[in-house]
Amino acid sequence: MLFYPVSNPAKIKQRIIDAAKSKAHEADEEREAVNFSFIDASLITSRLHLETAINQAILAESQGSLRTKTVHSEILFALNPTNNITEAIRRYGVSDTTKALCVVQIMNSSATTASISDVEIKMKKVVNGSIVSFDELAKLTDWNTVEKYHKLGNEVKEKRDAQRARAFIDNVAVSSVAMKSVMQ
Amino acid sequence: MTFSLSQNLIQSSLPISQGAEAKVYKAQLTSGSPPILLKYRFQKKYRHPTLDANLTRSRIAGEARALLKCLRSGVNVPGIRMVDATEGILGIQWIEGQSVRKLLPGGAEDDGADNVDSPDVEDSDPLTEYGVSVDEVMNLIGNEIAKMHRVDVIHGDLTTSNMMLRHPKSFVPFNPNVTTELVLIDFGLSYQSTLTEDKAVDLYVLERAFSSTHPDSEPMFAKVLIAYAETIGKDWVAIKNRLDDVRLRGRKRSMVG
Repeated sequence: MLFYPVSNPAKIKQRIIDAAKSKAHEADEEREAVNFSFIDASLITSRLHLETAINQAILAESQGSLRTKTVHSEILFALNPTNNITEAIRRYGVSDTTKALCVVQIMNSSATTASISDVEIKMKKVVNGSIVSFDELAKLTDWNTVEKYHKLGNEVKEKRDAQRARAFIDNVAVSSVAMKSVMQ
Repeated sequence: MTFSLSQNLIQSSLPISQGAEAKVYKAQLTSGSPPILLKYRFQKKYRHPTLDANLTRSRIAGEARALLKCLRSGVNVPGIRMVDATEGILGIQWIEGQSVRKLLPGGAEDDGADNVDSPDVEDSDPLTEYGVSVDEVMNLIGNEIAKMHRVDVIHGDLTTSNMMLRHPKSFVPFNPNVTTELVLIDFGLSYQSTLTEDKAVDLYVLERAFSSTHPDSEPMFAKVLIAYAETIGKDWVAIKNRLDDVRLRGRKRSMVG
């Protein structure tokens, strides 16, 4: 689900941190309320990019080889080109300045349409913003930052037009996400 | 394990061919997403399971790393779409097109079942469909190999079967004069090396592949080398001299016994 614009990123971040900090059982409800993957949409280059990250995260969970604590944080980890989890969450997770958010929840494949609309209601409770179509994603991508994170500065300069450079960055970004599990 | 995501994916995909090391499938990750090609390095029953898992894992990793390195340096290779090293599965971008081997004279022979979708039109040049001449293809080959060698990736198995031309219908060019693109595939035997020797041997393997699959290939391969020399630049002299040495003695440096 793609939210844009989002008006309460700082509050979401605080809620996730608080829910994670509190150990007591009474926080279970709060934890469940923010049990999503919140991804900064400006760093997603295409639908395929996000789908690849989700796919690799689910694969890792099903094989018991998660490198972070939950399948939702594993998506953020898969998106980041380095192996640093803190950096992955800081870069790709929700931050105080986030304007557009991809919100993802991994569910069992037996989930019905009813439970999917439940999830949508739950997401709307957390995020103050409107849901837009995934086609909008292309306008929201911050290509310069993606280029920086993947260290593609020199390679991109050789591409003469912006369209070609973007196709190139997208391809590299998708491929690095896909091969994350066998990265050096 | 009662079920595995990757096994389910393979069950639902279309087998294309099988070799000694791997089976190849055409699959889709989600409905509506573009097709991908799965290379499944199945379990080898003749090897010890631990050794087998280790070898499979490191080969998948090696292939994926070589692909990413080529991608980042602008060499035309398929993008990576999924990796499951535990099961031995590598998913790469599906390339619509044909291998160079089948497009060149002599290469289309003895490939029985593979030819179903391209009914043979006698004596017509299959390359016209791609809008390029044989010379242009040789040029593309030399260019692409040189780009790859410039970043010290050695393919290890250069043949005309391991190169594809993108079909013009599925190719979105940024330059209207370009109708197709040459893509290097199958990095299963690739490795990294800066040695002149390894680059020369890579070229020598291709030369042998040319002469054994395509009749009268000497002028064709000469054109590959001209394009290669142009792209690789100043290292060409050293590689050329070494290639002449390799031609005299064969692929293996030390031949004892």
